Amino acid sequence: MLKVQHLSHNFGTHWALKNCSFQLEKGDFLFLSGPSGAGKTTLLRLLYASLPVQRGLVEVAGFDLKKLRSGQVPLLRRQVSVVFQDFKILPHRTVYDNVAIALEVRCLPPQHIDRRVRAVVRGLGLENRIGLLCGELSGGEQQRVAVARSIVVNPQILLADEPTGNLDPELSRRMMDIFKQFHTYGTTVVLATHSPELIAQHPKAKLLRLDDGKITAANWPGAVIENCADDDETCAAGRPSGLRIHA
Amino acid sequence: MFGVFCKLFARGIRDFGLHPWAQLLTLAAVTLVTFLSGFFLLCFTNLNQELNITRGEVVYQVFWKADTGMDLVKSRWDEMRHLPWLTEMKTFTPDEALDALLKESQTDGGKSISAHAGWLKERNPLPPTAMLHFSPHEADLDAWNKATHGYLEKLPGVETVRANPLKDDLTKAWKAFANSVMWPVIGFLAFLLALVVGNTIKLSLVHRSDEIDILQLVGARNWFIRLPLLVTGTLQGIMGGTLAVGLLWLAWYHLKDVLNFSPLFMELHFLPFEQSVLLVALPALMGFVSSWIAVRN
Repeated sequence: MLKVQHLSHNFGTHWALKNCSFQLEKGDFLFLSGPSGAGKTTLLRLLYASLPVQRGLVEVAGFDLKKLRSGQVPLLRRQVSVVFQDFKILPHRTVYDNVAIALEVRCLPPQHIDRRVRAVVRGLGLENRIGLLCGELSGGEQQRVAVARSIVVNPQILLADEPTGNLDPELSRRMMDIFKQFHTYGTTVVLATHSPELIAQHPKAKLLRLDDGKITAANWPGAVIENCADDDETCAAGRPSGLRIHA
Repeated sequence: MFGVFCKLFARGIRDFGLHPWAQLLTLAAVTLVTFLSGFFLLCFTNLNQELNITRGEVVYQVFWKADTGMDLVKSRWDEMRHLPWLTEMKTFTPDEALDALLKESQTDGGKSISAHAGWLKERNPLPPTAMLHFSPHEADLDAWNKATHGYLEKLPGVETVRANPLKDDLTKAWKAFANSVMWPVIGFLAFLLALVVGNTIKLSLVHRSDEIDILQLVGARNWFIRLPLLVTGTLQGIMGGTLAVGLLWLAWYHLKDVLNFSPLFMELHFLPFEQSVLLVALPALMGFVSSWIAVRN
């Protein structure tokens, strides 16, 4: 479902990711943890082809992202949904419009779109907000709209970048419940967070810790712990190395 | 699929309301540029038509002295009707000339002359006149002009002879000017048009960057993102072109007789239907192309 091998990425002289390798199967739930600047967002951006793969191999939902042509990017993104910390919703459009947009781009019949949107909105407790402009909603409601837009298309993979970063603890817990519930339908979820409380809510999930662009801890055998030195450029350039740690 | 297309089309129309001032200014700019192009085209077409009509045609207007007896004048008119290459001849006795003048002053709304019609008829100051149209097929046109002018001047009682070979020369000169200047100017105006529309579409892209980001994130194909913007750009062209043609028609309606006087006698005609359609279609095409260039990345 998701395979990353010897992935390195640099912005100028700064290596944001260094020789990362891990693999996820269908239905896995992965927490991507680490401090700010560790490379979590860069890794997620590579997974949904917002950044080009410079070094290494990335396979997502059957797409080899290194060989991905620009015309194939929309096809990948129909399999991979993303939820952001800042929601990325349209404040001047209604809840319905914001959720429906993900189905409209697939040119589905209006009746099908209507049915799906109403079902998902109801599932997330937003049915009495469906006609309101998103700019009029609270932060928690806006985040639920963003989640609704992501799950309404039944993606194979759901990526979430600090999805609870702007929410209070109670809303964060409820948001986590939504992700867990969606995960039970068989979707692979990758959730980037630096919140230990959030991770503690799903003790059975896989965990991968990034520090300064390197994988420094993992709790399952599909990840490679990188132990190369910080100034070792050959390591960042993709030399297969490291110590495999089993949970 | 058709429903999606219609929805995107409608969104393109609705996007006019996103930043109305910018759209309005663009519309004004498109209209102005198209109007100027149309005005140039109008001049060019009319002068071309005039040139085709008057190619090789020479018009002389002969004025007799006011006190010349009409018997003498009429005998000369009979003589002149047999001149070689004459195609048309109009004659005016002083009374006919005065009637024509009074009639024209009434249609112009002038009251000062009409009010003194009775007095003028008793003391008519106008001389007998004749207007002669020739289509001379002469090898040496200048020599023929000189000879004809001399003959008319020497007729008994003739005071003045006005000739208009100038008309032919003027239109020829204008055509040469038009060919070397008109089309580059129209091309330049079309280029300006593309820049103006393209700039507005770029502005629209900046304004909608969040929406475009989201559309890309949820897997929208490029055509899905671009179509509303292309519709907006094309509609700018169509609306600007249509407004410009309307304004051009108004301008033509008020100016159509502005050159219809001696010695030009040019009545302006409105653009042919095909050229009017072109004035709408070209800005629409430029709007589409410039929008396409603006959104291609």
